[in-house]
Amino acid sequence: MALESLRNEFQEQLENLRSDLIRLGAMVSETIGRGTAALLDRDLHAAQVLIDGDDVIDDFCLGLEERCCQLLALQAPIAGDLRFVLTTLRLISELERSADLMVNVCKASRRIYDVEFGPQLRGLIEQMGVEAGFLIRAAIDSYVDADTSLAAALDDIDDRLDELQVNYVQAIFTRHSDEHLGLQGAVQLAMIGRYYERIGDHAVNIGERVMYMVTGWLPEHSGSARHRLRGLGAEDDAGPDPAGGPAGGSANDGGV
Amino acid sequence: MLAWVVAAASCVALVGAVLVLGRERRSVTALQDQLERQERAVASVESSTDPTTPEVEPAGGAELADRLRRAVDRLEHGVVIWDVDGSELYRNQAAASLAEARDGHVLVAAAVEELLVEAATGRHVRRVVELFGPPAESFVVAASPIAPGGGGAIAVVEDRSLQRRTETVRRDFVANISHELKTPIGALGLLAETIRDEPDPEIVERLAGRMIVEADRLSRTVDDLLELSRIEFGDDAEFGTVAVLSVVAEADSRISSAAEQADIRVRIEVEADVAVEGDQRQLVSAVFNLLDNAVKYSQAGSEVVVEAVDDRDDGVVRLYVTDHGVGVPRRDLDRIFERFSRVDRARSRETGGTGLGLAIVRHVASNHGGDVQVDSTEGVGSTFTLVLPRASVAAAGRGRFAPGVVAATGAAIEEFGIDEDGFDIVDPDANLLDGMEVER
Repeated sequence: MALESLRNEFQEQLENLRSDLIRLGAMVSETIGRGTAALLDRDLHAAQVLIDGDDVIDDFCLGLEERCCQLLALQAPIAGDLRFVLTTLRLISELERSADLMVNVCKASRRIYDVEFGPQLRGLIEQMGVEAGFLIRAAIDSYVDADTSLAAALDDIDDRLDELQVNYVQAIFTRHSDEHLGLQGAVQLAMIGRYYERIGDHAVNIGERVMYMVTGWLPEHSGSARHRLRGLGAEDDAGPDPAGGPAGGSANDGGV
Repeated sequence: MLAWVVAAASCVALVGAVLVLGRERRSVTALQDQLERQERAVASVESSTDPTTPEVEPAGGAELADRLRRAVDRLEHGVVIWDVDGSELYRNQAAASLAEARDGHVLVAAAVEELLVEAATGRHVRRVVELFGPPAESFVVAASPIAPGGGGAIAVVEDRSLQRRTETVRRDFVANISHELKTPIGALGLLAETIRDEPDPEIVERLAGRMIVEADRLSRTVDDLLELSRIEFGDDAEFGTVAVLSVVAEADSRISSAAEQADIRVRIEVEADVAVEGDQRQLVSAVFNLLDNAVKYSQAGSEVVVEAVDDRDDGVVRLYVTDHGVGVPRRDLDRIFERFSRVDRARSRETGGTGLGLAIVRHVASNHGGDVQVDSTEGVGSTFTLVLPRASVAAAGRGRFAPGVVAATGAAIEEFGIDEDGFDIVDPDANLLDGMEVER
């Protein structure tokens, strides 16, 4: 009887963890929308509010992380539950980093206060904001529903954002060569594009972690298996290890 | 006379009292029946189970609680009630859907929790939660202790998005109309002052020219306001079958010189037999304003396309006006049909628009039981869609077709009349109809 109630309490803690991660996702996706609007509207006040608001997100993330660690230490979860807690732990940092990227956008918007973007760049920035927000929401959906197909699709969905970013950089070059845009403004704008593109990458990372949560397999496992095969020679028949623990090495980080 | 009235009144009162009594008696009987049934049910429960089963609650209390619960579930407002120990006692459907959401609504649910914690300590608290969206939403969360000194707490969530929007529209309208009227009036005043002390006839001439421009601008704004209010009231509307091509052609003839000046080509792709149910004059006004808008915000050398699609399944005609212009920022999309709404105030001086065109379009659409939608990407262009009820098949083709004028921009203007079979071009000249699809 006592054991059962302990177990129920544990399940409830997992459930709370899940709903708080959804909340974190909603906070980040709000930040993306608001940050993009602050950038396009030249709203310095809104930008400052977001920069300050990042402390709230960081605080929330710390609290969540703490709870994950407590769960790991006190409840010693196994199998699916363990992967769930580990995945949540990873997702917290992916989301926290995404919010930081929007802070970077806000800070950049202060530096290019007097730069005229022109309609084409404005349109592209807006679309990148929409895509980035969509990717984060889809990533959270895949986590909540443990939906591996959506999680796997995130990489392909991210291609749209990547393509937008390529067009965006091209548009910056054009506007710069037309002498509508100075070098400093151009560099700041290009970095802003990069921030959005990185948010998309974080969403893809979340998708990979969700696949790990459900199946125990990470895309990196293929590469790691190849590496081991090369190291040990062809006679060792080591395939991808489905029972593998939390593999090191961050997924898709530092891509171009 | 008075006696009669009194007598009649007392009669009515008597009949009423009897009726009330009758109803009362019926409900008393029903209540007795119900009580008996419940007694039987309780008896059967007692006889079939051991005596340790919890006491059955008094019927009235349970029923009342159930009814209250169902009633509060129907509320649009979210309601969450906490017990004395801080556990959740009740949450109605609206509040439950907030908590289950994955979008910004979970942030509203989080605010509810936070405020309930505060209210449980005996304080009344209130917070406005603004969600960026899109769509932008605004919620007011209020929480109070149920008993003084904190005996449980209740939170109520109210969706204020619509009110917020209406307030903004009203506030902006007053601000905008003042601005639109004051700007040319201020300019006129200044110009007149300068002219008064100006000896040089050349400068006087130039200033007078400027005064005429400002006066024109003012009169255009007032004309548009009058047109808008006339369409809003819809007094002189004559509804009938109207050929879309004749509407588009007439609107196009009015825009052609402006389009030519701006080096913009208007391409019309409307079949002659597409007809709608409506008022020719209002429709021309709507299409003209869409074209005017498209031409103003297009890049020189580009093309504006007018297309009509006859959707028999939905019983509507969709008229698309597509431009390759600056486009509309997403956050402004839902507001551009308001009076005097402008995406870029600085640009409106250049284009000389009155800011009322799209408001006119929207009113014409709603007068016709239709709709107007916009799809736009900044830097790419916009497509405005006017949805109108299509004329019945029998009515199409023999309606009150007005003679129209087609002007393919850059070409000469050619008049043509329309007969019962559709369009009969008086002097067919292939070049004139370049880009037009006229079915014969």
